[in-house]
Amino acid sequence: MDTILAAKNLCFLEKITYPNIDIERNRATFICGESGCGKSTLLKIFNGTVSPSRGEVTYNGASLTALNTVRLRREVLLIAQTVFLFDGTIEDNFRQYYAFREQPLLPANEMKIYLSLCCANFDLLMDCATMSGGERQRVFIAICLSFLPKVVLLDEPTSALDEKTANQFFISICQFCTQNSITLIVVSHDKSLIDRYADNTITLAAPKETII
Amino acid sequence: MRGIVEMQLWQFALIYLLLIIVLIVMKKCHINQSKLLIIASVRMTVQLILAGLILTYIFENPHPLFVLLYLTIMITFAIHRVLSQNKGINYRFKLAIGMSLAVSGLCIVAFFICIVIGESIFNPQYIVPISGMIMGNAMTGASLGVKTFRESFNGQTSKITALLNIGVTPQKILLPFVNQAIETALLPTLNSMLGMGIVALPGMMTGQILSGTLPTTAILYQIAIMIAVCSVVCLSVFGSLYLGYKTLYNTQNQIDFAALNKN
Repeated sequence: MDTILAAKNLCFLEKITYPNIDIERNRATFICGESGCGKSTLLKIFNGTVSPSRGEVTYNGASLTALNTVRLRREVLLIAQTVFLFDGTIEDNFRQYYAFREQPLLPANEMKIYLSLCCANFDLLMDCATMSGGERQRVFIAICLSFLPKVVLLDEPTSALDEKTANQFFISICQFCTQNSITLIVVSHDKSLIDRYADNTITLAAPKETII
Repeated sequence: MRGIVEMQLWQFALIYLLLIIVLIVMKKCHINQSKLLIIASVRMTVQLILAGLILTYIFENPHPLFVLLYLTIMITFAIHRVLSQNKGINYRFKLAIGMSLAVSGLCIVAFFICIVIGESIFNPQYIVPISGMIMGNAMTGASLGVKTFRESFNGQTSKITALLNIGVTPQKILLPFVNQAIETALLPTLNSMLGMGIVALPGMMTGQILSGTLPTTAILYQIAIMIAVCSVVCLSVFGSLYLGYKTLYNTQNQIDFAALNKN
């Protein structure tokens, strides 16, 4: 197996211990497990925004501790559950995020492509303040995907979506990732989505009962 | 011009009558702060009497040690006030605030007295009132600046997280918060400079005029002190936040979201 991300003997704050994990390159890996078993934390460890208390993560064979974490996060991009959009239109948001990344802004037609990819066919001049939670989430994911990372970590991306939109979303995301050689790692509770779209599945064990 | 009229003690006592008016308004409007008003008035009276006695003694027996002691106590108190109004920030951030207040306050006071006025730093007649005004304003400014920064840092976690996750450096994420807080801390001083001389005569100038100083001399002091205040606020907030924000992330570019919100 061609491994892009691997975790060995991971342990977080002595509460969560992980099995050894290998993430296959250019495939969709779904992570599931009960609440509190450390799914979101695992994604944070993968993009280096938190450090494990024990164990090691390697990206393309190199230990995360030896990598420049900012550059790593541009390649291993985490789209967390709580999204953030700036005040203003969708276009303003692209502009702000690109300015923070110090990258030249995408032309408007490409922004449109990424929006429709995430089932968010809104006008670029639409005010983000008037959008629903699910709509904001999709716009945010569209902006993140437009950076073309090597690995996309998605934390419960469809939690605010109905079943039909969730399926449309995953069909186009999985297709996009295959076309662009992007490794997809998704945290999800939804069994039907896992059955349909996962190439690999990792089930994390429930957290150990702490004895008080 | 003549020197100030020495107040007779019984005449002075009449000013306390005005507090009765405040009490009546408080009762009428159901403001339950009459206890605070009384405590505040009593504390103010006692503290100022003590200050008056101590200053009289220091002025009569000028000694560098007294001046040093006075400065130390004042700076410690100023730092303590800023930190107690900004509970929950991490130790290294506190250190940054303390250092910035002390260093910027002392530098500006020394520049003001030794170079601009040309007096000895140990002359209590100058160091006591001037350092008092400068440190007092530095304290208010730093407190406001740190509070603004802390609130925006604690309140905008989702923005910070989102930017961090897409690979923006912590410096680039946090600096706008720093700049914003410095601006907020400077605005009251800048606004009071705008209204100065029209809306009100500032306290120091009033005092000098009452005690018989020519208004033309008094304005020179007032202008100098305002510029000193503006710069000390700017320097102390800048120092506190520029040194302080670096304590919020580590070499792995991980931001400690609890850093300003500890119990």
